[in-house]
Amino acid sequence: MNKQGFLFLWTLLLCLATFYPSNVLAQQIQVTGKVRDAKTNEPLIGVSIVVRGTGTGYITDVNGEYKMNISSDDILEFSYIGYHKEEIPVNGKGVINVSMSEDLKMLEEVVIVGFGAQKKVNLTGAVGTLGAEALENRPVQSATQALQGLIGGLNITQTNGSLEDKSKVNIRGIGTIDSGSTSSPLVLIDGMEGDLNAVNPQDIENISVLKDASSSSIYGSRAAFGVILITTKKGSSGKIKLNYNNNFRWTTPVIMPKMMDSYTFALYFNDAGINGGSTPYYSEERLQRILDYQSGKLKTSIMPNPTNPQYWAEPYGNGNDNVDWYDALYKDYAFSHEHNISLTGGTEVLSFYLSGNFLNQEGLMELNKDTYERYSATAKIYAKLNEWTSINYTNRFYREDFRRPSALSNTLYTDLGRQGWPTLPLYDPNGYLFTAPSPALGLSDGGEDNHQYDWMNQQLQIILEPIKDWKIFGDLNYRTRNNFRHWDTQRLYNHDVNGNPYVYSQGSGVYEYGYRENYFNPNVYSEYLHTYSDKHTVKVMAGFQSELNKYRDLSAKRDGIIVPSIPTLNTTSGTAFNGNPITPSVTGQYQNWATVGFFGRINYNYLERYLMEFNLRYDGTSRFRREKRWNWFPSVSVGWNVAREAFWQPFEHIVGTFKLRTSYGQLGNQNTGNWYPTYLTMPIGTANGDWLIGGLRPNTANAPGLVSSSLTWETVKSYNFGLDVAMFDNRLNASIDVFNRQTQNMVGPAPELPLILGTAVPKVNNTDLETKGFEVDIDWQDRLSNGLGYNIRFLLSDYQTEVTRYPNPTNSLTTYREGQKLGEIWGYTTIGIAKTDEEMRVHLATLPDGGQNAFGTIWTAGDIMYKDLNSDGKIDSGANTTDDSGDMSIIGNNTPRFAFGLDLGVDWKGFDIRAFFQGIMKRDFWQGSYFFWGASGSGIWWSTGMQEHIDYFRADSNHPLGQNIDSYYPRPLFRGQNQQTQTRYLQNAAYIRLKNLQLGYTLPQELTRNFNFEKFRVFISGENLWIGTKMAKMFDPETVEGGYGGNVYPMSKVMSVGLNINF
Amino acid sequence: MCIRKRILQLILCIAVILMVVSCNDYLDRPPLSNITPEEYLWDESQLASYAISRYTSVFPTHERNKWGTFEIDGNTDNQAAVSMDNKYAPGMWRVGNTGGDWDFSFIYQCNYFLETVLSRISNEQMSETDNIRHYIGEMYFLRAYEYFRKLQTLGDFPIVTMVLPDEMEALTEASKRMPRNEVARFILSDLEKAAEYLKETSPDGKKNRISRLCTYLMISRVALFEATWLKYFKGTAFVPNGNGWPGKTKDYNASYQYPSGSIDNEINFFFEKSMVAAKVVADAVKLVENTGIIESPGNENPYYNMFAAVDLSGFTEILLWRKYDKGLGITHNVSVFGQHNNNGSGTTRGMTESFLMANGLPIYAEGSGYQGDDFIADVRKDRDGRLHLFLKEPGQINVLLNPDMGSHTTPVEPVPGIYFASTTRYNTGYTLRKGASYDGAQCDNNGGYSGSIIFRATEAYLNYIEACYEKNGTLDADATAYWRAIRMRGGVDPDFNKTIAATEMSKETLDWGAYSAGVLIAPTLYNIRRERRNELMAEGLRYMDIKRWRALDQLITTPYHIEGFKLWGPMKEWYDDNVLVYGADNPNSVVSDPALSQYLRPYELSNKSISFEGCKWTMAHYLSPIATQHFEITSIGSEDYSTSPIYQNPGWKIEPGSAPDGF
Repeated sequence: MNKQGFLFLWTLLLCLATFYPSNVLAQQIQVTGKVRDAKTNEPLIGVSIVVRGTGTGYITDVNGEYKMNISSDDILEFSYIGYHKEEIPVNGKGVINVSMSEDLKMLEEVVIVGFGAQKKVNLTGAVGTLGAEALENRPVQSATQALQGLIGGLNITQTNGSLEDKSKVNIRGIGTIDSGSTSSPLVLIDGMEGDLNAVNPQDIENISVLKDASSSSIYGSRAAFGVILITTKKGSSGKIKLNYNNNFRWTTPVIMPKMMDSYTFALYFNDAGINGGSTPYYSEERLQRILDYQSGKLKTSIMPNPTNPQYWAEPYGNGNDNVDWYDALYKDYAFSHEHNISLTGGTEVLSFYLSGNFLNQEGLMELNKDTYERYSATAKIYAKLNEWTSINYTNRFYREDFRRPSALSNTLYTDLGRQGWPTLPLYDPNGYLFTAPSPALGLSDGGEDNHQYDWMNQQLQIILEPIKDWKIFGDLNYRTRNNFRHWDTQRLYNHDVNGNPYVYSQGSGVYEYGYRENYFNPNVYSEYLHTYSDKHTVKVMAGFQSELNKYRDLSAKRDGIIVPSIPTLNTTSGTAFNGNPITPSVTGQYQNWATVGFFGRINYNYLERYLMEFNLRYDGTSRFRREKRWNWFPSVSVGWNVAREAFWQPFEHIVGTFKLRTSYGQLGNQNTGNWYPTYLTMPIGTANGDWLIGGLRPNTANAPGLVSSSLTWETVKSYNFGLDVAMFDNRLNASIDVFNRQTQNMVGPAPELPLILGTAVPKVNNTDLETKGFEVDIDWQDRLSNGLGYNIRFLLSDYQTEVTRYPNPTNSLTTYREGQKLGEIWGYTTIGIAKTDEEMRVHLATLPDGGQNAFGTIWTAGDIMYKDLNSDGKIDSGANTTDDSGDMSIIGNNTPRFAFGLDLGVDWKGFDIRAFFQGIMKRDFWQGSYFFWGASGSGIWWSTGMQEHIDYFRADSNHPLGQNIDSYYPRPLFRGQNQQTQTRYLQNAAYIRLKNLQLGYTLPQELTRNFNFEKFRVFISGENLWIGTKMAKMFDPETVEGGYGGNVYPMSKVMSVGLNINF
Repeated sequence: MCIRKRILQLILCIAVILMVVSCNDYLDRPPLSNITPEEYLWDESQLASYAISRYTSVFPTHERNKWGTFEIDGNTDNQAAVSMDNKYAPGMWRVGNTGGDWDFSFIYQCNYFLETVLSRISNEQMSETDNIRHYIGEMYFLRAYEYFRKLQTLGDFPIVTMVLPDEMEALTEASKRMPRNEVARFILSDLEKAAEYLKETSPDGKKNRISRLCTYLMISRVALFEATWLKYFKGTAFVPNGNGWPGKTKDYNASYQYPSGSIDNEINFFFEKSMVAAKVVADAVKLVENTGIIESPGNENPYYNMFAAVDLSGFTEILLWRKYDKGLGITHNVSVFGQHNNNGSGTTRGMTESFLMANGLPIYAEGSGYQGDDFIADVRKDRDGRLHLFLKEPGQINVLLNPDMGSHTTPVEPVPGIYFASTTRYNTGYTLRKGASYDGAQCDNNGGYSGSIIFRATEAYLNYIEACYEKNGTLDADATAYWRAIRMRGGVDPDFNKTIAATEMSKETLDWGAYSAGVLIAPTLYNIRRERRNELMAEGLRYMDIKRWRALDQLITTPYHIEGFKLWGPMKEWYDDNVLVYGADNPNSVVSDPALSQYLRPYELSNKSISFEGCKWTMAHYLSPIATQHFEITSIGSEDYSTSPIYQNPGWKIEPGSAPDGF
């Protein structure tokens, strides 16, 4: 369809939406009746009865009875809190008695979907939902962390425990392997694009996750990999209510690596050196000093330099300290506290919601502070101007403040193990922090890094309802984001033997960064709902959306802090330590992008039995040029609630809902990393040249590359099949979704051209991916007659991704290839560790054509025996292709499989307990870093020694650490021959974690009312209290891929106490 | 109803307005803070930025974690890097699957600049100021320099002078290899253009940018290279129309004729070019003074300090150098390694023995006064001033200034740590102090900031002497004067005839340069080469010289044993017995077996190592192979790589991982 065609269709939809039903005349009659509880048969007092469409209503009296005059064709709506709503047409009857049944999980539950809401029973797409109660009292830093494991298919991984780390979020797994686009889900907060990490978790009322293309396609090219819709709490009419809650937290690191003691470490490194034919690094004399220091006989951790006694000796070669660097750098405990206050109230025509939140969290850094502070304030006003016009206004402010030492960067994770030798002095004998490259001095004195993020959201919504059930929405969303960052690096001093400071690291400087983003997003849409002949319900929606995002930033860095305590740009000299000028580096840029979209949706259901939804979106983006810019995104979904069929009647009291549904949709992904992928730009740099001219760094410039003229969108097609079941009066709810998502035409590697071209061949769209998976969600909740309520919820989800097209004709293993399952781990099969030289000799004799020479030439007892899978008499990787992979095979897969969540809750007489477990059932992981190996193949300067590494092969029965023939690790070597990717050391990264355990007590209302409290609850809540895993002990299975080689800022165990007060 | 209608109208109005607003114009959003190619390369400063961005990737200069340019000569008979290069173990150097020297990215950068700027000038959109002309000259020079690197490794090579379209056919057509002498002529023509465009003194005034004299030095170098190559490889597959020259197999080269008519004319053409250009430089530049002072903290010996000073602009001999700055973080590790183990690049016995005595006699000559080599101190005694100056001796003081500064100083020269692990090993026992500063401030780990020499005019003196003698068989007055000047300054008796008379070629066989095409050369030519070797010690030109002299053929039949100092003489007392583990069967051996030689043989510790039998050679190794990928891409639609316009270098096959024929 061309653009004109679309305009026509859109207009048609608008016209349909304005279609107006005719009225029929009816006569007045009197109706009486009694309302009872269906189970107990007791009369229900105070049931609200509303005549549909009029707003007139009655309340049942003390006997559960009512009497009223209405017209004969009216419909009465009976509603009572905690009970199913009943709708009964009068049909001329004079007496209407009603039995209402308790609603354990409201059948009428409404789910927020794109540009509207949908009754859950009528949903045909794959949508996961979560209410606020699931996030309550979780002592976490952000809503993202709290969401982990609570919605099937919403995968959240936190790969680092530092305060600044943001969890990674995806919906239904890996969406793209495109070299220039991302597959993060679109997050909408009250209808405006936002950040899951930038919302007060306690403001959240509910969350919907739109998982399949049919649910998300209404958002077009921004939503190719799903949508997370967050609805925040709003004002409610009635008495003004105040809620205050707080909690106080104690965090402590979990799964901290433990280093060897100094003596064991020295022996270990000596063994690694001797095994490789080098001389021992630690001499006998030094070993004795280490032992003397351990026993307290020697008091100094280092001696003066023998050839230059004014200074301390070189610490790696001479230190005899006994330090566990993890222990030295991370605290045992840190304290945090959070406070939240909210106020809501108003009348039918004007209501409000106000909230404020403050969180102060301390990090675990021992030598310097790292902190996180959050301030948030929300104001929402609802005003009803007249019968058909209402206005919503929201103002949300969110601020985050981070502070950390400048040296707490990725290099710390890289270097902590390899530089932090236990024998390296932490303090010199005078009590000063010892010389770098030990990590301590920089962390302590190297300056600080501050980051402030501000989010200011303004949302104004006008809702017109000129005719009942015809609504027009006009949204104006506006957001400004301001980020400011400051970091400084300070000159570092060491101290000589006499305690006099001397300069160690001469550089100092200040960097400031400012960023402002303006985001503007108007939406106009209209919907109309009508039921024809009480059977056919049609909902039509059409609208327009536009987004404009602009940002600018500024940064400046100038060297030479004049006074260390005043690190500002103003107070820098602009010179190096030697007085030579250094050109300050200054940047500033402007960037923007925009989208425009037209969309429409038709929902139809027949007696809520047959359900159908059709979506269409026409999207344009600034990322591509005019010819490639516009795209159609259609989707369709259908459902069949079998339980509504006549033949189902006999089972209806057991199975109230049995709904089959399926969907298909197609989307494009406009989220390219480069905002201008089709424009050629000149690569230029300012004062960044390495060839100094006039003593300064010159500007630089290079030739521009090439851009393919055929570059275009990647498209995402997705199929979904689902089943929803509700049983036993909705005590049991279950839903199952199976999906298949195909990402097509991703930008892959460039085609090959003769190298004489001289520059990179432009990339083209040439690769495909397919992801398959399922989600299961089973929920049981019940309240026993003795008042004991309990609930169990179990979630399970899984996905696997396969590359279905990739230009790799030789099937090389070094890049993606067709048929590859993402996450495959190729490696060798381990026979075992040779216990004797003879065993190794016998093994090598089975490999006459080259042995294990591909990895090393000297093989003895304590080395790995690899298996000759292809029986060619040698161990190697062949041509490193799938056709000839030598002795390598697929030994595992690191895709996290079968993610699950288990939520258990019990409440009784004011006490409540909740336990929430989360985990991964199957995952392999190959962590070949030196943190795993200890003495690593990259040499002595890329090695460490942890407690786990003590279990290494020692044949010598007189070894000070004892003989160890049945070791886990092979003999240590500063060569990599034993450290090939192999089965023996493949890690099982499956885990189950008690993410949250809380115990609360709510004081009885009779008691609290005396003090004017509505509710008074105290609780204790713990996060990450227990983990079950078979992973090597120096790694946390959640963060094993984070940081450097699995070495990260540790995750925290949190204990918190708090209280919750409603006035 | 009325209100309803009005709302409907309002909605439709808004819709129409939004339609209009949201048209394509709204979505046309070009980058706001980037420069497009059309807007760049117009003024002087832009041209200067573009040109200077090319320098670092093409000129060899000091790097971090290295002994800078001084270790480039590792893996020659001058210096032994920690492990032997595969090129001396025929069968180990194999055809790559991808990559290699067949790379045009630098040439593309030059061509983009020249094409853009020259067309703007010829269209009169841009005026040609002196500085603009200078930067154009720099780009010609840089392209020539890059082409010279290709000439050395690959020989015949495509000549590309413009930006090519990203189309298969055009690119395949352009991939045709031009005969090597044509490549050399192209380089000379670029250099001659550069000489025309470049200023006499570079715009920065400190010789940190290319200036005109650099061009003449390069002309003399390139022309001498090509002339000697053609002379010594004449008749072989390594020269156009030689026996088995692979270019013959392609139509476009099959009927190639030398532009000068014959290879001999071509050789003379290049020698002539070399002499003319070398004379321009040599006459314009005076040699820096050598006072002979070794410990010279305050520039007491300019010749020594020229290699270690922070600012080289004042040294007449330096034509182009790179500046470093610690505050700016542009640093290297030259002085740390200069004071320490030369980063494992050990100076060989052959190198030390090639130096004359100060009296001008070879060490073996009667009455030379040679003290032998039982101790390093003896080796230095009464020798050529340059060896005396640059060869380190245990006990010498290495730090004279700022002894408190520098985390990695080696204040006093220690007994060489020949048994240390690879990174800290004194590989041969002999180490040099060329490039090492006496200033402790230069000795923070990777915190050195002395200048790095790119072009030193002395080379022009040497080029002239050699070109003159190779061309004419005699030394003219200029050559004689130049040679005497170098010897005088170096600290040797300037009477080179005395040396020639005392030279016995049979005693010079440790020097690869004593051979060409497998036979020993005559004493005069040898002493010219000896002079070049000694003067340019550790300056990165040795392998280029060895190749152009065809001085590796003798290794095909007789492996060469790299040796260091005389470990198994009295110097073995410097070490504890238990430290000097040896034995060919012992995997833990750290030194070579005394049964092999009294001298330390760093490559012959274990019989498991490929270097155990010494350095060997095969003819194919004079040129690098072209990786298989390039044949594959250019054989359009064919599995048969011979349909590619590219041909492989002599002796090499096309299959990935294959060794040259015969192995």
